[in-house]
Amino acid sequence: MATRKRTLLKVIILGDSGVGKTSLMNQYVNKKFSNQYKATIGADFLTKEVQVEDRLVTMQIWDTAGQERFQSLGVAFYRGADCCVLVYDVNVMKSFENLDNWRNEFLIQANPSDRENFPFVVLGNKVDIDGGNSRVVAEKKAKGWCTSKGNIPYFETSAKEDLNVEAAFQCIAKNALKNETEEEIYLPDTIDVNNGGSQSKSTCEC
Amino acid sequence: MATRPGDYTHFKSIVPLKRVSIGTKYWRYYDYGPKSVPPLICIPGTAGTAEVFYKQILTLSSKGYRVIAADAPPVWSHQEWVNSFEKFLDTIGVHHVHIYGTSLGGFLAQLFAHYRPRRVQSLVLSNTFLDTREFAAATTWSSLITWTPEFLLKRYILSGIRDGPQEPLIADSIDFVVSQLETLSKKELAARLTLNTTVGAIGQVLVPDSDITIMDTNDYCATPQALREEVGVRYGGARKAVLKTGGDFPFLSRADEVNLHLQLHLRRVGVEALVVTKGPGGSDDSAQGEDGRGFLQHPDLGMPPAEGGTGEGSSTSSSNSSASEAYRQKAGLGNEWTMCPCNATDWDSRKKFPLDLLVAASIEATIQGHGLPNDGLLGGSKVSIMRYWQLAMYNLY
Repeated sequence: MATRKRTLLKVIILGDSGVGKTSLMNQYVNKKFSNQYKATIGADFLTKEVQVEDRLVTMQIWDTAGQERFQSLGVAFYRGADCCVLVYDVNVMKSFENLDNWRNEFLIQANPSDRENFPFVVLGNKVDIDGGNSRVVAEKKAKGWCTSKGNIPYFETSAKEDLNVEAAFQCIAKNALKNETEEEIYLPDTIDVNNGGSQSKSTCEC
Repeated sequence: MATRPGDYTHFKSIVPLKRVSIGTKYWRYYDYGPKSVPPLICIPGTAGTAEVFYKQILTLSSKGYRVIAADAPPVWSHQEWVNSFEKFLDTIGVHHVHIYGTSLGGFLAQLFAHYRPRRVQSLVLSNTFLDTREFAAATTWSSLITWTPEFLLKRYILSGIRDGPQEPLIADSIDFVVSQLETLSKKELAARLTLNTTVGAIGQVLVPDSDITIMDTNDYCATPQALREEVGVRYGGARKAVLKTGGDFPFLSRADEVNLHLQLHLRRVGVEALVVTKGPGGSDDSAQGEDGRGFLQHPDLGMPPAEGGTGEGSSTSSSNSSASEAYRQKAGLGNEWTMCPCNATDWDSRKKFPLDLLVAASIEATIQGHGLPNDGLLGGSKVSIMRYWQLAMYNLY
């Protein structure tokens, strides 16, 4: 049986600093949460094998530092992204208002081939805080924004309580996979599932 | 001659090629970046030379890392390679190493880690393998390698590179490697092929998985996938930095991503870059007392442009003094850099942090991304030497 190329999904998490991007990623990948806040330096990534529908795919999740101006991050982070996760803190209005900027900047930097249909997912994090009493962004408002941007899927999460994190990332993986598959259709020349017969007898490593 | 910051001509004009004799043989190498930082040693595959890592050398040195890209002289067995490499390190005064090895280079890096466990602190393994048996079995004529004419050896090495249309950056990377292959002598080619086809396997490697990054390309490469997967299984806890695309030579075709992963790796294993970060907050000036040897980040290019022709000729000599001169030249050119020179609408008015190295890398990446540097050395001709070889062979048969 020919070994099939593994599918790699690249996911970028964006949002203001302190909204919980790293915590969400850690909760999802490592099932860990720490109350201690540590600013992410530049960027980092984690990988996780996930089952999406009946396919096993590798998710490469990039966590970026919210403090940095987006433009300074550059294309290496965004090249080949399959899904962009926008995170805000439901207790901080500014972090919600900035979603627009994060989204726009992503589209500028990553420059996806199909801007209109590029998959985003929005997460309203920290719903656990103060039993929801300190909340300033209503669910309705967030959903309204998501609808206006082409029906972006929306999840309310708590990385601390592991609330909705799995569901959100399942949705992220699914949408990312859809995007990845479409790319394959657009660029048939670059896909080589069988690894090419001519290479099988090659003895040299270059 | 005008050189673009970051291109190969620029590299050749500022980074001196060095040679050091080990016994009767010479190692060729580039050693660039602050000497006080533990170096990252880059080891190429069969077709590569030290030059193929020029983008890593330029970018990472500008971030304050020391990078050494080395070409072994012709050696004829794995053990001889290990011994020679060790002497090479001794001679240049490097004890502990972090190694980035691609394909055959990755195999040799693991071999060295196996035989000299105390010297290897971390590994970045790219498109590589644990075992040469498959190559040995496929090369029934390996005993004849030293008798084989040069053009056949070249053709053989090139047969591993994927044919067919490629996207421009990958096509350029192939052209570059092919042009490098042209610089190798028959003896060098034969030695590399011998190393690749001599039966050998990696024994126990004591480097902890947490200090290993596996950086494979997910589109294709000459190392069969089954062999690459063995590497992933062996170092189960290693970090998997998969690149979606990039082909056989991602250090050229996806240099910005590779450099980013190398930086992440070095940061993870505790290698501190020597940089003078002078953020707008002015809070991080401590490193600046380093008599101008500190590596400064040019505001927008990552590398200071070579100014005029002065000093460029001398810097290609092999003396140490010219290297430090180059450093000073560099340090003098980039004065200080600020958060982001393009001061567009500041929608995020929160406190600005001193720019992290990674982010600095990205600025450069952005510029590269827009500039699409053409590294093909073939003067615009897109007919690669590889095709030429293939045609030549076709006519022969």
